[in-house]
Amino acid sequence: MNTENSATGEGKGGDVIVETVSRLMVPFIQLFALYVIIHGASGPGGGFQGGVIFAASFILLVIAFGIVDAGDRFPEAVNTALFSLGVYIFAGVGLLCVILSFGAAQYLNYGFIPLTTHFEENRALGMDLVEIGIGITVMAVITSIFFNLVWKRESEEEVGEKEEQE
Amino acid sequence: MKLISAMALVSVIFLGALFIYVAEDIPDFGDPYSPPNRYVKLDVSMDADELVDDLNQGIVPETLVSELEAIGFRKDELPLKVKKVKEGEWDAIIIPEEKHYYPKEQVYYLIKAEEDKLEVYRYAPVVRYIEEGHHETEVPNMVTYILADYRGYDTLGEVTVIFTAGVGVILLLRRREKRIIEEAREKTGIGNHKITQISTQTFLERKFDQRNCFLIKLFSKKF
Repeated sequence: MNTENSATGEGKGGDVIVETVSRLMVPFIQLFALYVIIHGASGPGGGFQGGVIFAASFILLVIAFGIVDAGDRFPEAVNTALFSLGVYIFAGVGLLCVILSFGAAQYLNYGFIPLTTHFEENRALGMDLVEIGIGITVMAVITSIFFNLVWKRESEEEVGEKEEQE
Repeated sequence: MKLISAMALVSVIFLGALFIYVAEDIPDFGDPYSPPNRYVKLDVSMDADELVDDLNQGIVPETLVSELEAIGFRKDELPLKVKKVKEGEWDAIIIPEEKHYYPKEQVYYLIKAEEDKLEVYRYAPVVRYIEEGHHETEVPNMVTYILADYRGYDTLGEVTVIFTAGVGVILLLRRREKRIIEEAREKTGIGNHKITQISTQTFLERKFDQRNCFLIKLFSKKF
């Protein structure tokens, strides 16, 4: 393998079929992940499962295009911000219940968020919001773990190749 | 950069304070009056007058047994003992026919005296989740409403655990050398693959602190 290519990440993978198929598949995987998250209330699924499926789409990108290209599409700074965004959505929805009921309701008692006029409908919608938060956190964490492992691996491989050449 | 650090600090302190508040706000374990543990009301009501004395003496009234049987409870779910909790409230205890090594007594019903009537409730949070959950939350998926609503504190903790795992991975594995090479590339305008090829030791030593840079140690061995 050429040293120049391996250092920049170009030429890894490089199969036309793999790249084209994965480029076509990724939007559908992401759409399915969103479906699983949103329909967590009315069917099988939920935040954890949907988040992992969403992360799988980025993992497919890395496998097909190499870490450098995929890393450009999904920058690490954004990923780190999404980490905490999910937790803050969850905790914030819980706090909204306390604030909007003027301290009467318990934390995470979704019925007191006045989204609709029905107490039970509010609970259902609050659950959806919470599921979105869970999905964001799980997606960001799984993606970040995979990306960091791949970066580590690549750097070790580069060092190993350099030692072999000399 | 300073502003971002300050904002991060403020939000971390906010979240920490919020979690302390949450820990204070959790209902006591097994508290029957906390919303998820409330008992389910059964469609049984009897006149209190004659039965209160029986209940106080620990005798199970026969009308209660027959009423419960009429609703459709199994034979081993009918009360065998009655225990007084406080004035006007009794626990009814059953011994379920399960293949335990030791048959276990189970507190199953709560009998309450309300204005000359005896109302019968049924304990056990699980029963409440199954029987009342769809009615109370308008969500058809049982797993979701238990996880996200009744056991919301638990799920909040799970998400925090996953978040912590991610932060740990970032601290251990995020590649510092990559950032250093990119900074060097920006300053010199050379591609990073060429930086590793030309003799970079003097350049890097001048620019960066040697103690923190893994790459420089590597190069200083070789060149």
